[in-house]
Amino acid sequence: MLESLSLDGKVVVITGGGTGLGLAMVRAMARAGANISIGGRRQGPIDDAAAEVKALGRDALAISTDVADSAQVDKFIADTLDHFGQIDVMINNAGAVQGNIRKPIWDITDEDWRVPMDINLTGAFYCSRAVSKPMSERGTGKIINVSSGFGLRAGRDIYMYCCSKGGMIQLTRVLSFNLAPYGITANTIVPGFIPTQQVEDSSLSRSTPRSGQFLPIGKLGKPEDLGPIAVFLASPASDYMTGEMVIVDGGGLAGGLAPTGHAPVIPLEP
Amino acid sequence: MPILPEYSLSGRVAILATAGGDQAPILAQALAEAGASVFAVARRPELLEPVLEALNSSGPHGGVVADAATPAGIAQVMDAFDRQHSQVDILVNDARSMFAQPFGEITAEQWNTVHSRNVLATFQICQEAGRRMIQRGYGRIVNIISGLAERGMINGSAFAASQAAVLSMTRCLAVEWGEHNIRVNALGTGWFTVEDIPLEEQQKELLVRYTPLRRKGHPRDIGPLLVYLCTEGCDYTTGQAIYVDGGLNAHP
Repeated sequence: MLESLSLDGKVVVITGGGTGLGLAMVRAMARAGANISIGGRRQGPIDDAAAEVKALGRDALAISTDVADSAQVDKFIADTLDHFGQIDVMINNAGAVQGNIRKPIWDITDEDWRVPMDINLTGAFYCSRAVSKPMSERGTGKIINVSSGFGLRAGRDIYMYCCSKGGMIQLTRVLSFNLAPYGITANTIVPGFIPTQQVEDSSLSRSTPRSGQFLPIGKLGKPEDLGPIAVFLASPASDYMTGEMVIVDGGGLAGGLAPTGHAPVIPLEP
Repeated sequence: MPILPEYSLSGRVAILATAGGDQAPILAQALAEAGASVFAVARRPELLEPVLEALNSSGPHGGVVADAATPAGIAQVMDAFDRQHSQVDILVNDARSMFAQPFGEITAEQWNTVHSRNVLATFQICQEAGRRMIQRGYGRIVNIISGLAERGMINGSAFAASQAAVLSMTRCLAVEWGEHNIRVNALGTGWFTVEDIPLEEQQKELLVRYTPLRRKGHPRDIGPLLVYLCTEGCDYTTGQAIYVDGGLNAHP
């Protein structure tokens, strides 16, 4: 029954696949047999990622795409379909960590709010919209949204990132419910604190821990931690799973009512 | 077919605690297929037999009949296990009995039986296996639960409360044993069957038509995910419930 974990011959589309978590997922999926169409704003990193996929003997495309621009998204998907003839999996991974400006709410401008919402949430919507029609015509498909622990809990002065990532979890649920009749599933990966250069370079880095000492498992995550779960969600092994999320966060979200390490001992009353 | 080596359980020893049911043999097969040695626990011989049969009794598999909810029973389980294995890497708890009754008619005895089988047995075996895992600084625990851990259902109170109890224990153990390199997760299921019923036949049932994917789940639908949650690679996910329920959790 474990052969269903293979991605042999599948066509996976991923946004933000040239760096960070996206690149780690690209590598794992290519090893599992997938052909991959990689979107990203900068051509250099996605070209490099595509070269890695091809070196493993799979096919790859690298198409520079701004997911906040629906015309570019539609072209990305159309070009992918032209090349591969089908799309089995759409991974909405592109995220604007840099765009999230940390400010008190009264200082956030309309533009501050709009940019990260457009990239994280609207971008995922544009991509889902573009693939859902061709997927529904084939009667099969998988949409995977990459959210964040900040989509479930608050961060200090992190308004746009938290709201857009929370929106992606809801987008997943609504997609799952409405696309189930067409054979399409939708699930969310919720990464916790996993250091990447993108987070490091952004204002979010001030809200992310430097070490794992405040997490139940005592260490931070690695981008590679997402590989097997991305492959599982992209594979037929997850066919009966939809509308769900998989949280990959070192145990942080399992706790939270008391600080990590808080270990009271209270005897039972007689 | 390329399959990631990360999904291998080669060299791992797994305890599979089951309250019976048709699901256990298939879950045992999934673990064995990934390379684990499986030691099954069931309350009655006729519940253990199909599991051992599915494992083909070849290789280092085995099992014991005992009631893990009693002090004598759990001692019997661990004695039998320790005679066969020197380590436990994986504990899968699929020990739950379904029960549904109008709330006003549930007797205290019935309530206690449901909670003894579904919660107390899981608690005891987690404690025993966990002790051994802490000593070695490694372990993976997966508690298989029902989606009723999160939702209400008419006549479901005793069973649903037991599932919520196991989910809550999962979260607490995850944060308590995280530092020992033990990961504890729950795998939640919806409406499942082991029979391969044609879709048209299944969809005559309202419950099936209500499920967004319009079919019942089969244990095969959770086998690969169970294997992943038992791997060393499942290192950064802990204290979570992952539901495989045909989309019911997102249902309005």
